[in-house]
Amino acid sequence: MFRSRSWFGAAWGRPKNPHSLERLKYLHNILCKNTTVSESNRGTLVESLRCIAEILIWGDQNDSSVFDFFLEKNMLSYFLRIMRQKCGGSSYVCVQLLQTLNILFENIRNETSLYYLLSNNHVNSIIVHKFDFSDEEVMAYYISFLKTLSLKLNNHTIHFFYNEHTKDFPLYTEAIKFFNHNESMVRIAVRTLTLNVYRVQDASMLRFIRDRTAAPYFSNLVWFIGKHILELDACVRNDADHQSQQKLDDLVAEHLDHLHYINDILCLNIPDLNDVLTEHLLHKLLVPLYIYSLTSDPAKRPVTSSPYNRDHIQSIEAITRNLEAILKGKNAEVSPTRMTFARQQRLDSEDEVKPSVSCVVALFLLSQVFLIITHGPIVHALAWIIIQSDLSVFEDGATKILEMYISNAKSNVKLEFSKPQLSLEKALESTSGHERDYTTPEYGGPKTFGSEDTDQSSCDLDPELVSTSLPSTSHISESSSIAHDSTEDLVTQMHSIKSDITVKENMPDSPLPDSGIESSSSKAEFNNITDEEKQKLLAVSSQASTEKMSLESIIEKEIKEIEKRPFLKTILDSLDCSENDYKALFALCLLFALINNKGVNTELLDTLLCPETEGSTVSNVPSSTSQSDATSSDSKEGTPTPTHSRKSMHSFNALLISKLIAIAHLSCKPASKVRLVTLELSVTLVRIAMQGATGVAGARHIVSADNLRGRAAALARNFYKCDDIFLDMFEDEYCEMSKRPLNVEWLCMDAAILLPPTRTPMSGIAFAKRLPSGEMERARRAIRTFFLIRDLYLKLTGKPETQLPLTNPAPFVQVGDILDLNDSDLISCDIIQKDGTCHHRFLAVDNIQIILVEPDKQKLGWGVAKLVGSLQDLEIQGDKEDPRCLHLTIHKPRVGASGALPRTVLLRAKFKFDDHIRSMAAKQRLTKGRTKSRQKKMQQIGRLLEVSGMAAPALAPRHRPLFTRPAGLTAIRRSTGADGDDTERRLRRPSAHMLKDGIVVYRERTTSRESSISRSSSTHGLREGSPRSRSEEIPLEDIRRNAASSSSTPTVSIPQSQPSTSSALQKPSAISSEETSFISGEPRPKRKGLVETI
Amino acid sequence: MAYAYLFKYIIIGDTGVGKSCLLLQFTDKRFQPVHDLTIGVEFGARMITIDGKQIKLQIWDTAGQEAFRSITRSYYRGAAGALLVYDITRRDTFNHLTTWLEDARQHSNSNMVIMLIGNKSDLESRREVKKEEGEAFAREHGLVFMETSAKTAANVEEAFINTAKEIYEKIQEGVFDINNEANGIKIGPQHSAAGGAAAGGAGAGGAAGGGCC
Repeated sequence: MFRSRSWFGAAWGRPKNPHSLERLKYLHNILCKNTTVSESNRGTLVESLRCIAEILIWGDQNDSSVFDFFLEKNMLSYFLRIMRQKCGGSSYVCVQLLQTLNILFENIRNETSLYYLLSNNHVNSIIVHKFDFSDEEVMAYYISFLKTLSLKLNNHTIHFFYNEHTKDFPLYTEAIKFFNHNESMVRIAVRTLTLNVYRVQDASMLRFIRDRTAAPYFSNLVWFIGKHILELDACVRNDADHQSQQKLDDLVAEHLDHLHYINDILCLNIPDLNDVLTEHLLHKLLVPLYIYSLTSDPAKRPVTSSPYNRDHIQSIEAITRNLEAILKGKNAEVSPTRMTFARQQRLDSEDEVKPSVSCVVALFLLSQVFLIITHGPIVHALAWIIIQSDLSVFEDGATKILEMYISNAKSNVKLEFSKPQLSLEKALESTSGHERDYTTPEYGGPKTFGSEDTDQSSCDLDPELVSTSLPSTSHISESSSIAHDSTEDLVTQMHSIKSDITVKENMPDSPLPDSGIESSSSKAEFNNITDEEKQKLLAVSSQASTEKMSLESIIEKEIKEIEKRPFLKTILDSLDCSENDYKALFALCLLFALINNKGVNTELLDTLLCPETEGSTVSNVPSSTSQSDATSSDSKEGTPTPTHSRKSMHSFNALLISKLIAIAHLSCKPASKVRLVTLELSVTLVRIAMQGATGVAGARHIVSADNLRGRAAALARNFYKCDDIFLDMFEDEYCEMSKRPLNVEWLCMDAAILLPPTRTPMSGIAFAKRLPSGEMERARRAIRTFFLIRDLYLKLTGKPETQLPLTNPAPFVQVGDILDLNDSDLISCDIIQKDGTCHHRFLAVDNIQIILVEPDKQKLGWGVAKLVGSLQDLEIQGDKEDPRCLHLTIHKPRVGASGALPRTVLLRAKFKFDDHIRSMAAKQRLTKGRTKSRQKKMQQIGRLLEVSGMAAPALAPRHRPLFTRPAGLTAIRRSTGADGDDTERRLRRPSAHMLKDGIVVYRERTTSRESSISRSSSTHGLREGSPRSRSEEIPLEDIRRNAASSSSTPTVSIPQSQPSTSSALQKPSAISSEETSFISGEPRPKRKGLVETI
Repeated sequence: MAYAYLFKYIIIGDTGVGKSCLLLQFTDKRFQPVHDLTIGVEFGARMITIDGKQIKLQIWDTAGQEAFRSITRSYYRGAAGALLVYDITRRDTFNHLTTWLEDARQHSNSNMVIMLIGNKSDLESRREVKKEEGEAFAREHGLVFMETSAKTAANVEEAFINTAKEIYEKIQEGVFDINNEANGIKIGPQHSAAGGAAAGGAGAGGAAGGGCC
C-alpha cells in the first residue's frame, strides 16, 4: 500500500522522460491540484514527492533549470502545507516528505542549490513542525533529516540554521529535546547532530549554545547519566546470581557510550563549552555521586578502623544536604528573604536519601572515567580529590574543594546529584523567547550574599556575558561565600563536629540521623579552615616524617597518614583480598587508569609512585610539571596544588606496594581467592610503583619480587607432572598470556566483572576473570601465576627472558628451506588428503620437528621442506584396514610469543608407505620423537620451576634429573647433549642444512635412474654440501650394505635387533637407529623389484 | 504499520562504496539507473515477509560519522545486522575490511549478523577484487557473502533479506534476547501487546525465543 503503484496521473499526459523539467512541471501541477491530503490522493502525493526528489537530484547533476523551477515555484512551501494537515494517513505522507528532503539534502552537490534551498527559512519551519513523534517511523525519518542537515553544517550554512538576531537555532534545540529518547538510534542521531554542530566552531553560535542551552542540556545529560548509573547499581546489587548479565552488559555499554560522547565533546576543544560541561560533570555527577559513594556505603564502611571514619561520612552527608537545601530553597524562591525561609523549611523536611552507589560500582565507574576522559580539568580535579583531599574536605564542605579545582572557579552549579529543576524542553522554551535573562535552571534569583569570592570567578568571563546573558555567575559560589561570611575559628568548628559525633554514636546504624541535621544546619558546618590553618595542621602531622625509617615504620606512618585521606583510604583498603578480590579488582583498575591518564598531573601521582624521600625532592622543583603542562596551564591556574599540596606531600608508595605484594602473595596460595586478572593488574601496578619516577626498582623490591617468584614456582610445582597435559597446558598458557596482554580498557568494558566473582565456567566468564573450577583450571591458574610473577621479577631486575618460550623458534626449519639430506633417515610416502589429493614426499624427523620434503631439483641429495610440523603435537594413528598406512595430524610448531595460534592443524592426512614395515618404522620413529621432544620440554619446565626432588638436585641445570631413563636406543642415538649441540651447529645455515641422525635414504619409489645417480654421487654431495667435511661418515652405500647385512637377521622384533645394529656401527654420527637399520635391510629386494618393473 | 519484528541494520564500509545507494535501492526500488544518476540516502525502512511474518527493516547508514568514536560504537551496538560493503572495483576498500570487521566485532553484540557485500558488480570491466577473494574472506571470518549492484539492483533485495532471514533464525533458536531492544530487535506493537494471550502461532516463535534466554 505504501508503495502502491497506483498512478492515475498518466491520463494527464505525463511526460515520458522521468528526468526532465517537463516532468517536474507536471509534478508541480499535481501538488497544486492536491493541496488537501485525503485517503484518495495520498498515493499520488507520495509518488509525486518521490519523483520530485529524483528529478531534483538529476537536475542538480545535469540541468540547472530544474532547480530554478523548483525554487521559483517555491515548492518547499507545498511540502509545508501538506505537512501541516492533520488528516488520516498524514504520517504516511509525512514520511515520504521527510525522506524526499533527506534525499534532497544528502545528494545535492551544487553549493548554490543548497543555499537556495535553505535560504527561505522553510527548512527551519519544517524542523520546528510538531510531527507525530509517537509514530516511530516518523520519528526515525525526522531525526535522520535533522542529522542529515547537521552533516551539511559549515561556517557558511550555519547561518541558515542559526539566527544571530533572534537567537534562534531550531535545528539544535529541537534535536536535543530527543537526547534521551527511548529509541537508541534516535539518541545516537542526536549525539551525532550535537557534535556536528559544535565542531562548526562559529563563535556566535557557540556563544548561543553556551549561554542558552549548555546549562540545561548538560545538566539534563548529566542527570540522565546519573540515573542510568543508579539503575546499573541496582542491577549489580540485586544480582548476585548472574541472572541479568545481559542487562548489565547493556547498562555498562550505555554508560561507556555516555562517557565517550562526553569525551568527544571535550576533545573538540571548545573552551567555553568544556568549562560548562566540566562544571556540571564534577558538581553534579562525578564528585557527588561517584566519589562520595566511595565512602557512603554503610554496609561496607569499616567501623573500627578509624575514629573519624564514620563521623566524617556523616558530616559529609550533612554538609551536602545542607548545601542542597540552600540551593534548592534559593531556586524555589526569588526574593532573598523568602529564600532564607525556604531554606529553613527545606531543612526541616529533609528526609530524602541521598542517592549513592555501592563502593564497587563507584570504583568501576571512576576507572572508566579515568580510562576514557583525558580532559585535564576534569581528571586532574578528580584525581586530586581522590588522592589529596583529607579530612578537611568534610569540614570545609565539598564545594570548597571543588571550587579550588574548577578552572575559572565558575562553580555556578551546586554540588549534588539531583534532577535539573526544569526539564530540558522547558528550559529550551525559555531560551527560544527573546528575553535575555535566561539563566541556568538552578539559579532563578539575584545574588544575595557577599561576593568577595566571586570576583575571582567572574573576572575570567566575557564582561558582556557577565552583565547580560549570564546573570547567574554572581551566584556562582554562593555556598562558599556563605561559608566565608560565617567563618569561625577552628576550635568552634571542631567542637561542632564533635557534637555531631556524639549524636551519631547514639544511632550508629542510621546513615542519616535526624540530629545530624540540627548541628549541620549550624553555621559551623560551612566554615572554612583557612589555608594557613590547614597547613599548620598538616605541618604537625608531617614533622615526624623527615628522618629515615625502616619499612615497617614507613608503612605504619603511611597507615596513620592515610586515615586522613578518606577516599584514598577506601581505595587502598579495597585492595585487601583476604576474603575475595571483588573490590580489589576495581580499585586496581582505578589506580591503573589514574596512573596512566595523560590529563593527570604527574606530580600528583608521585604521592603513590614515589617513596617519601623522593617526594620531598620533587617538591623542591616547583617548575617541573607546570612547564610541561603549559598547554593546560589555563585550567591549572586556579589550582592550589603548586603551593598547598607540595608542603603537605605525603607518599603512600610503601603502603601501596605492600598492599599489592599482599595480593600477589595471596595468589600464590593454593586455595587463593584472587583471580588471575586481579593478579595481572596488581603485578603491573607493583612494577610501576616499585620503579617509581626513576624507573629502577630498589634492592628491597627486587628481594621481595624474588621471594614472590619462589612462592609462585612452588605453587606451580604442585602440578608438575610428567603427563602430556601439563606440558600442553604450560605452553598454551604461555602463548595465551603473551598473545593477550592485559587491556584494562577492555576489561572495564566487561560487565561480568561487576558481579561477585564466580567459579563456574558455565557463567560464560573468561577464565582469567573468574576463579578456577576443578583441578585442571587450578593447574592453569598456578602456571599463569608463575608466568606473571616471573615476568615481574625479570622486568624489575632488567634481565632478559631466556627460558621462555620453551621452544626457541630460531633454529626451526622453515617451509621452503633447502636441506642437505644426504645421509639422513628419510622414508618415502604418499600423502593422501581427505579430498583425495595425493602427494609424494619424504618424511624426515629431527629433534623437534617432522619435516616433509621433496627432492631438490638442483642439488642431488638435498630436499626442499614442504611442510614442517611440531613433533610434540603430532597425532599418530594406525590404519585398521591397511597396515601400510598411518593417519597423522600435524600441527604448526608452537612459536610462543609470535602470536601463532597453538595447535593449528597443518595437515591431517593418510600417509601411505610402501609396506607395513616402513609404516611401522615411521610410526615408531615419530612416536619416539614425540616422546623425546616432550620429555626435553618437561625438563626445561622442571628447571624453570626449580623442581629438585626427583633427581640429583645439584646436577639439575645441566643434566636431566627428571628424565626417566631413556630406552637404550635413544640413549645411544642421542647420547646426552652432544647430539643436540651437533645439530645446532649444523643448523647454523638456515636455508640449507643437513638433517642429523637420519641415515638411510630410501629411494624405492624413485626411478632407477635417480637412485643410481644418488648412489654414485652421494659421497661427493655429502662432502660438498656439508658445512664441515665428515670424512669419517659412512657413505650411503656402506650403510646400505651394512644395513643389508644386519637385515639378514630375519626377526622383525625391533627391540632385540637394536643393540646389535647400533654396536655394529661405531661412529655416533652414523649410527643407524634400530628402526632404520631394520628397514634398510628390507628395501633391497623391493627396490630391485621396482627397478625391474620400471 | 503492524509488524512482528523490527530489525535494525547498519551499513558499514569505506566511503564511496555505494552504501547509501544500496540502502535507497532496497528501500525505494524505483530509483532506476538512468542518466548515470547516483543517489543515496542515510536512512530507510521497508517491510519484508519472512516465514509468513511481516518484518520491518530499519537501515541506518553511518557515513560521515566516523570522526566520533562515541557515535560509531553506539551504532554498532544498537544493530542486529550489519552489511559490510566494499567496492569490487577498488582494491583498497577490500583491504580495509579487516579493520571494519575488527571494529564491528569489538563494539557490536556477539550475535550481530554480518553480511559481506561486494558492490558495483555491474562494473565487471573495472573489477579489481575477484569474487573468489570475497568468498574466501567471508569464509575465513564466518560471514555471508554476496556481490550486488546498487545500480542494476542485482542481489540487493537478497542481501538484505538473507541477512534478515539469518537474524530471524537466530531468534527462533533463542540466541537473541528479543526483549532487549539494545540488540537492535524490537517486537512489533501488536505482537507484544497480545503477548501470550492471542498472538497464537505468530507469537509462538517469539515467545519460545524469549523463553530460552
